[in-house]
Amino acid sequence: MDFYLGLAQIVGVHTLLGLSAYCVLLTGQVSLAQAGFFAIGAYVAAMLTVLAGWHILPAIVAASFVAGVVACAVGFPALRVKGLMLVVATLAFGEAVRLFFFNFDYQVARGEVKIGPAGGEGFRQIRFFPEHGWSTLDVLLFIWLFVALVMAALWWMDRSRAGAVLRAVGEDEVAAQSAGINVTAVKVAAMTVGGLIAGLGGGIFAHYTAHIEHAQFGVALATFAIAYPILGGLSSVFGTLIAVIFVQGFLIEGLRFLGDWRNLLFGGLILLAMNVRPRGLIDAATIAAIKRMRVRNREPGNARTEGAE
Amino acid sequence: MEGSLQAGILTAARRGKPAKPVCLACRIDALMMCYRDHQGPGFDAEFKNFTGPDPQGMSYFQFIDTLQSIADGVLFGATYSLLGIGFTLVFGVMHKINLSYAAASIGAAYASLIVLSVVKAPAIFIFLLAGLSGGIIGGVIYIVCFRFIPQANPLATLMSTVGALLLIDEIIVHATVGIPVPYPALFSDVIVNAGPFTLRGDLMFMFALGCLSMLLLLGLLYRTKLGIATRAVSQQPAAAQLCGISIPRVNGLTFVITGVVGGIAGAMIGAAIGVLSPLLSLPLTTKGLIVTVIGGLGSIPGAIIAGLLVGGFENLFQYFRGVTERDLYVMLLLFAFLVFRPGGIFSPAAGRD
Repeated sequence: MDFYLGLAQIVGVHTLLGLSAYCVLLTGQVSLAQAGFFAIGAYVAAMLTVLAGWHILPAIVAASFVAGVVACAVGFPALRVKGLMLVVATLAFGEAVRLFFFNFDYQVARGEVKIGPAGGEGFRQIRFFPEHGWSTLDVLLFIWLFVALVMAALWWMDRSRAGAVLRAVGEDEVAAQSAGINVTAVKVAAMTVGGLIAGLGGGIFAHYTAHIEHAQFGVALATFAIAYPILGGLSSVFGTLIAVIFVQGFLIEGLRFLGDWRNLLFGGLILLAMNVRPRGLIDAATIAAIKRMRVRNREPGNARTEGAE
Repeated sequence: MEGSLQAGILTAARRGKPAKPVCLACRIDALMMCYRDHQGPGFDAEFKNFTGPDPQGMSYFQFIDTLQSIADGVLFGATYSLLGIGFTLVFGVMHKINLSYAAASIGAAYASLIVLSVVKAPAIFIFLLAGLSGGIIGGVIYIVCFRFIPQANPLATLMSTVGALLLIDEIIVHATVGIPVPYPALFSDVIVNAGPFTLRGDLMFMFALGCLSMLLLLGLLYRTKLGIATRAVSQQPAAAQLCGISIPRVNGLTFVITGVVGGIAGAMIGAAIGVLSPLLSLPLTTKGLIVTVIGGLGSIPGAIIAGLLVGGFENLFQYFRGVTERDLYVMLLLFAFLVFRPGGIFSPAAGRD
């Protein structure tokens, strides 16, 4: 049972990470900096609870805020460039953050032991959950509360004008601009929201793993962050969730019985998925089909055919 | 002062046995390699206590060492140039990123080792074999990652190349049980003393080989029909198609050509470092992309110069700031370029995406 609870925790945190990339991807930008924001959130939240003695709730909110501010600051210069340039710029930013934490040594003597992030050895003393007697289930509920909040907020945003604006910029920047949309503002806003979500996820991640080090926030995590929304499809927030469950639950945990061969299958299945469904597992056509089905069930014999593609 | 003493011993050690400066694996990524593969006690001490050269004034020897580290870096930078050329060519022709490129290059170097162990041949053929296997891998990557995915969807091909990257890495891990494999270095016993400087034979050979492959590539692009077709597709795909050039064929051949270049680069990296490990592929991907952007997207001369620049720059900062901070300064160099010269050293002509 604990195994499944742990898996659900991982899925929750990775969903937050994927949703942070989803926001940015909606505007057509590929950002590999999400792992960097995630790392900032993780380190800030952990330092607040361990070194400053805060409660986890204000700590992760503050961490999320810090990551959001950094994302906003990164957004302005980074969004001057497009396409591959942006991919490389954000990749370099993420790596720079990781290298910063690799060299970041801020240890405070607490009694006989020194606590705090210790450069390459990582940050070891994050014990908020055990110290406050939270059970695995409590942690799980805590994580999924935030996942549900973020998903609800994004789902609502998608249905509001803001979502339409984001997608307009993502589909055709020039058209969006000529329709009077301030493209830079929209992109920076999306980046900031992405940073906020990634920081939140990072703060939670630091507390449930209890040990963070720079190597966890490398290029691999950054690619996973964009992989979830791309695999799941950008048409709905649920695509990201399904992709996380597919990757973490099925590809990583579900195929463990294959032993070493699992890792081989992992890359191969991503390849296959992209060849078979280039627009993601849940694409616009799928959503249109689901909508049609619902309409048909409600009013038999009066199926709407518009909205496909 | 203590720091300067340590640095002095360090540089002395480095000068004494130039075949292996610092931990050679760390040339690529100290962070990954040293924690997992190279946990030697000697290295660890150096890694933790690195203080850099004496900050109070530059002595003559420090000046020489600085120049020496830049020279070593520029020589190694030839591999970055080759990787940058691969990224930039694919981008020029298809306007797509092939993230699996560095992994494929490392994979080709592995494949050349396997072939060499079956066919008894002189060690110099390893570069040829690596190039050949790189070409084959490049062609396969084009078919599985690009051929059947709609061109208009950049995210899908980005993701499929990530899949290929993971797949190649895992195949290597699977085949080698995750243990780094020694790679033969040519002329590693040759050390040329030029005044106060020492030049490593293997690095010089690598540099010469890199220059040779770049010249051959430029000849191919500017002197053959295939080169004309490639450049036509990269400049005006629609017009090229109207002239009867088959775009999928040119795209596929571009992948084969970049694969050959990448295979040679992979072999050069293996020869310079002395070992091959799948852990090299992600850091090399990052470096190759940085070189591509600094050089200017789609510009081959830009990629060559940027590769040498990045190589020299990172080795300079490795000398001054230690191997853990080295890459931070490379990122700063990239940011400086993005802010002050977003088009790179040789920005492409206006009007192109």
